[in-house]
Amino acid sequence: MNPTQILTGERALKAYVLLILLFLALPIVIVVPLAFSTDVSLTFPPHGFSLRWFGNILARREFGSAFLNSAMIACISTAIAMVIGILSAIGFVRFQFPGRETLLLLFMTPLIFPAIVFGAAMALMLSPLGLLRSVWGLALAHTVLIFPYILRTSLATLFEIDKSLHEAAYTLGANRWQTFRYVILPLLRPGLLAGATFSLIISFDEFTVSMFLVGPGLMTLPLEMYNYSEFSLDPTIAAISTVLLVITSIAILIIEKLVGLGKQFS
Amino acid sequence: MAVAIAGITDGIERRPRARADLARVAALVALLAPAVALLGIGLVWPFLKMLAISFQDRFPDPTALTFANYATALTDPYFLRITLRTFSLALVVTLITAVLSYPVAWFLARSNSRWKHLVFLAVISPLMVSIIVRTIGWTIILGNEGLINALLVGLGIVTEPLRLMQSFWSVVVGMVHILIPFMVLSIATVLGKIDPGYAEAAAVLGASPVRNFLKITLPLSVQGIASGSVIVFCLTVGAYVTPVMLGRGQVAVLAVTIHEQMVVLVDWPTGAAVAMVLTAGTLIVLLLYGLFLRRHSRR
Repeated sequence: MNPTQILTGERALKAYVLLILLFLALPIVIVVPLAFSTDVSLTFPPHGFSLRWFGNILARREFGSAFLNSAMIACISTAIAMVIGILSAIGFVRFQFPGRETLLLLFMTPLIFPAIVFGAAMALMLSPLGLLRSVWGLALAHTVLIFPYILRTSLATLFEIDKSLHEAAYTLGANRWQTFRYVILPLLRPGLLAGATFSLIISFDEFTVSMFLVGPGLMTLPLEMYNYSEFSLDPTIAAISTVLLVITSIAILIIEKLVGLGKQFS
Repeated sequence: MAVAIAGITDGIERRPRARADLARVAALVALLAPAVALLGIGLVWPFLKMLAISFQDRFPDPTALTFANYATALTDPYFLRITLRTFSLALVVTLITAVLSYPVAWFLARSNSRWKHLVFLAVISPLMVSIIVRTIGWTIILGNEGLINALLVGLGIVTEPLRLMQSFWSVVVGMVHILIPFMVLSIATVLGKIDPGYAEAAAVLGASPVRNFLKITLPLSVQGIASGSVIVFCLTVGAYVTPVMLGRGQVAVLAVTIHEQMVVLVDWPTGAAVAMVLTAGTLIVLLLYGLFLRRHSRR
């Protein structure tokens, strides 16, 4: 292969990658201009400029309460998943035991378990307990869903912490709790904050499982958006999407600054 | 004598050691118990409950156990057609996603470009964008008054807007868009671990770039393609939002049917049996992947 061939090959690859990036970005960024349009339906190209659709988000109370519900469920489930995830990550990192690999694999099943089956099964379990359409039922389902993500980031971060730091802390007279509190936790903090941000977003955006667990009186934002889009596809939906995109971008920036987004997926 | 002494010291040392062992086991159990409880209560229990209901003749008050729900789910032409469509959708989406993602993964694993990190961010950021937002984006692109039809009509290529939504292929496009990041990550991770020396050696020995790729790099990266495909397949089979919003009632898949059976028709036993068929399908794919990994690691 001569140098010119390599150069054309590389150019072709770069052009292709750019094309795929455009494909990935297009359906996401296209909602933004439509949020400011004066049209009453989602038509392309948009006409005029107005902020009335953003006003409409505030005028319709259901979006506000759905937003709060989603935020509350995301916070509860992330908090619980963090505690359980960190504990089990410590178990996996500090101990060698028979069946360790299998257990780790089992703990990851919520990642690939069909969401539709999980949602339906959850509804079957929660309804006799009276937890259908309750924040706690949704929080339990979301905790299960985000637990593998928290476990994975905690494991990745824990593995990076030098074992000799433990020993140093012990040698200097720290007990187990002090070692955890003053040595391990500060080192874990950026990774955990990034994992938490990621989990908040996953829970906040969850749709398929929540679909079985919500109802009149308790809706989450994605479900409320879906219901709204069922009967009117006006730019209100694009306006909410734009608000969500701003929130997501901030979350991505936070994660990227803390540890790098790549850590969440390796 | 020596044996006896060793035996004695053994006995002396064993007791505190046993206690330390016990403490370690207790600590391990304490650390893992919350997670086991979470998944036991939050995943295994609901699943078993659903399994039980799939064998009931009625819900909520069963009078007998029956296989009739499974007979319906597996032999009724209506359900068969939907099952077939779901798994062929998953297969098509997996194939297209793999082909489209490979070069991007290659770029991420091999390129020295200063844009590499930015490309990486641009590939995985969509994972954090709400699926509703992304699907609405596709309706804006594919709709009758959408971007593509505006372009086609504006350029005079067509006079009437094309019906791009409500079709199998619109669902494929939406699913591929959602799943490309997963596939790219899986393949890039494996590609990044391959020693570039192999390909260089093959090139020095006279292998053409194509032959080099087909005989060296592709076989070495097949594990990344396989793990990515498993993720993509499982996520497609269980997907609800994209088939509903882009298929608009015209593309029935198992997820839509399960929801319909349970929530609209309130026929939980049949819905549960269909859900078990779906779960079994993903389990088979996972088992095949496990077999593949064993064969692959033996080589």
